Order: sequence, then C-alpha cells, then structure tokens
Amino acid sequence: MSPTKLDVRGEICPYPMMRTVSALKKLTGDEQALEVVTDHAPALETIPTQAARLGFRTDIEESGASEWRITITRTEVEEGA
Amino acid sequence: MAVEVRRSAVIGPRSDRANRNTTLALIAWAMAVVVYVVAHAADTEFSMFWVFGLAFGFVLQRGRFCFASAFRDIFLLGHARTMKGLLLGLAVGAVGFGLVMGRQVPMTSLGIYPPSANVLPLGIHTVLGGLLFGIGMVVAGGCVSGSIYRMGEGYVASWVAFAGVMGGLLVSAYTWNWWWEAHISRTQRFWLPHWIGHSGALVVTLLALAAVYVWVVSIEHRAGMVIPPVQPAHTQPESVADDLRSGARRLFVQGWPVLPAGAVLGALNVLLFTAKEPWGFTGEVSRWSIGAASVVNIAPGPLAGLESLPGCVLVPSDGRFFNHMLFLVAGMFFGSFAAAVGAGEFKIRVPKRPVRYAQSLGGGVIMGYGSGIGMGCTIGAFFSAIPSFALNGWVFGGFLALGAWIGTHIIRRID
Repeated sequence: MSPTKLDVRGEICPYPMMRTVSALKKLTGDEQALEVVTDHAPALETIPTQAARLGFRTDIEESGASEWRITITRTEVEEGA
Repeated sequence: MAVEVRRSAVIGPRSDRANRNTTLALIAWAMAVVVYVVAHAADTEFSMFWVFGLAFGFVLQRGRFCFASAFRDIFLLGHARTMKGLLLGLAVGAVGFGLVMGRQVPMTSLGIYPPSANVLPLGIHTVLGGLLFGIGMVVAGGCVSGSIYRMGEGYVASWVAFAGVMGGLLVSAYTWNWWWEAHISRTQRFWLPHWIGHSGALVVTLLALAAVYVWVVSIEHRAGMVIPPVQPAHTQPESVADDLRSGARRLFVQGWPVLPAGAVLGALNVLLFTAKEPWGFTGEVSRWSIGAASVVNIAPGPLAGLESLPGCVLVPSDGRFFNHMLFLVAGMFFGSFAAAVGAGEFKIRVPKRPVRYAQSLGGGVIMGYGSGIGMGCTIGAFFSAIPSFALNGWVFGGFLALGAWIGTHIIRRID
C-alpha cells in the first residue's frame, strides 16, 4: 500500500511539525507510513522526535532544493512495551 | 524503544546544486563587500554596523536561532534545544557586559547607571510588553530577529509579520505619551550592581541562568526522549584540501549546533556593546514606521521622556534616511540571505492557507505594540538586558515565557 501523503510546503513554523503529528494520530491501524514533503528545515529536527514519541521511525531524503521528503513508518510494538 | 532516523540524498543533482549555491553565495558576499566600501566612505559607523548586522544574520540563520521557538518549544514539545543555546548566549553576554560596565561605572555605590546598557524602567509596561510580545511571536511564527532572518531565507509570511511589527510599533507610538504620563515616568530602573556590586551581580545572574537551565532540562526529561539532530556520516578527510572543504561545509552548509551559535551571538553582543551599544533594533524599526507615517502626515507628535531612556525606545523620525542602525538591520537581513543561499536553504515559501497571513500580520502587530511599550524585543529588552544586570530583563523574559505559553494554546486552535 502506498503511504498516505502530506504536503506542508510553504507552511510557517511550527505547523509542518504540528500537521504531521495530527496526520500521524489519524493514521488507521492498517496504514503503516506517512510521507511528508516540507521545505522548512527546522522541521527535520522536530518531526523525528515527535514521530518517535508516537512510535514511528523517520527517514529523511533531500528531494530538491531546500525540500525534503520525510517517510515516517510505524515501528513494531516491542514485547512488554 | 528503538528509534531510527536516517538521512539520504539524491546524489546527482545535489552536487550541481551545491556548486551553484557556492557561486551565488560568493556573488552575495561580494555585494556585501561593495556595500561595506560605499558605506565606509560615507561614515565609518555605517560600515561597522553593516558588518555586525551581517554577522548576526549569518549566525542566526546558520544556527536556526529562533527566539520564539526557544520559548515556545518548551511548552509545545518539551524541547529546550534553542533555550539552552540562548542561556549560554546570555551567560557569555553577562561576563562580557560585566567587564565593560565595570570599566564604565567603577564605583557602583554612587547610584550612577552605565550610559548605554539596557537598564530600563520597570513596571506594568514591562509585564504587558513581555506578555504581548510572547503571544505575538508564537502566533506569527517568529519574533522580530527571527522574522528578519527568515525574510532573508525567503519566507513570505515573515515579510508580513515584519510589516505587522512596523504597524504595532506605530500604534504604540500613538499611545506612548499616555503610557509615559500615567505610568512609565513614575517607575524606576533597577540595576543589580547598585545592591551587590559588579561581581555579585555577575554571580547572581550566572546562578539564575543555571537554575533556568536545570528547570528546562527537567522539563525535557518529563516530556521523554528528544532525538538529537542527525549529522551526516563522518569520513576521514584524505587531503588538506578535503579537510578544509569539510570544515567549510560545517560552517556554511550544515546547520550549526545551537550551543556554539548561542555563544557566538553572546560574544557578538559584547563586541557591539564595547563598540557602541548592546544589540537591539526595534527602536530603528519604529523610526521606519514613524517616518513612513510622517510622509502621509499621520505621524504621532513629539514623544515624551525618550531622551532619558537607553535601549530600544521608540525613535521619532528625524527626516533622514540612513543611520547606523539601518545598516545593522539591513545587514541582519542580508547576512541571513547570503547564509541561506550558500547552504541551499533559500527558497520563496508562500503559505497556502489564508489564515497564515492573518496570524503573521496579527502576531506582528501584537509583537510590535509589546516591543514599543516594553522598549525592546527578545533582543533589546531580554538578550541585551539580562547581561546588563538589569532587573527589567528578567521580568520581560518571564512574561515572554508566559506569553509564549498562551500563544502555544492559540496556535493549537488555529489549524
């Protein structure tokens, strides 16, 4: 299944991170990944942290001039966690 | 929990882009040199403030040193990344300012104030100014310095916020005489060395900064994990040229870690204070908006009490266009622009949602009004005031934090 996409280019601080978080919270159980496109460099630090707190891992790819594609994937829930 | 952050890059177009960025950055810096030479011929103070402005703008952009996020992210995310850098910058500033003020006022028992340090009247205007500024900077997505460096990065919303700041400063100028008569003229300035001497003031300031540091670290721990920024893989340089190139990359392309950025900003502030006065610019921005208002004959009349006040108080238009402070603000903008171009981070960013323009403008106006009555922004009334051993800096900072907390609640409700 292709990941759900979220385009937050042009957004002001801190909405790239906030809108990513609310999109992650809306992912249903069978959706495993969210793909975010952003041009806001500070979000490259805030999104991985917030994603990790929600149980996701992040993969950042520079996709253009001052533009990044962030793939956020659900991590397996660890035993006893 | 296993946490993984990977970074990869598309290799081909990236190296072409890097070369183009270097060329564009060199052109930008060459233009900065031309401005320096022309300004130097007109007035050496112009060129000196231009260089300071460039340096501040460069470091703000490289460190992504956003004062609004320093306060906001404590409440929004439980992060204190930028706040830690800010505290270090204040500590560096305090040591340096302490040395300068010790020379300016050797005898603290005489009740004299250092002439150019940002020791400001403390009162309700400080409280309300800090509170409004804190709310406005979070709603607008950046304070005044943050908006200036993001204007250089190509954020259209920051231009809107800056226009709002100019408007808010003008509104504060219309109400200034009321504030002065009703309150500010009756308030006092509080300078710590008058009570506990220079060394006592330095020790108390550093201890208080350390206490804030402990507080924000405890907030981080309560909020849970924080992922450190991912650094590109480190490889052993093969030659001297390689080594120099990777050093230049760390300086000009990769974002700076926040602690060196904060320390350098603090040190630049000390240098500027040594040369003339502490860092601050909302007074200058008010000169622009009052000047623009006077062109269309809606400028406020004479403003009371300004000559007795240091720092970033409102500056009535003097009919001239250039002064040294204009070069400081323009330099901050241009230094950030050149830094962003060199790092490949310049891009015209246009918000798609109309509400962003409204909140940038509205937040800007609130900030502008707050800095008008508070006599400064996160820089003049805070980053330059705490190192001045001025009590108003701590009060303004405390209410900046409260305002940022309120602002955080507001932006959560604006989608």
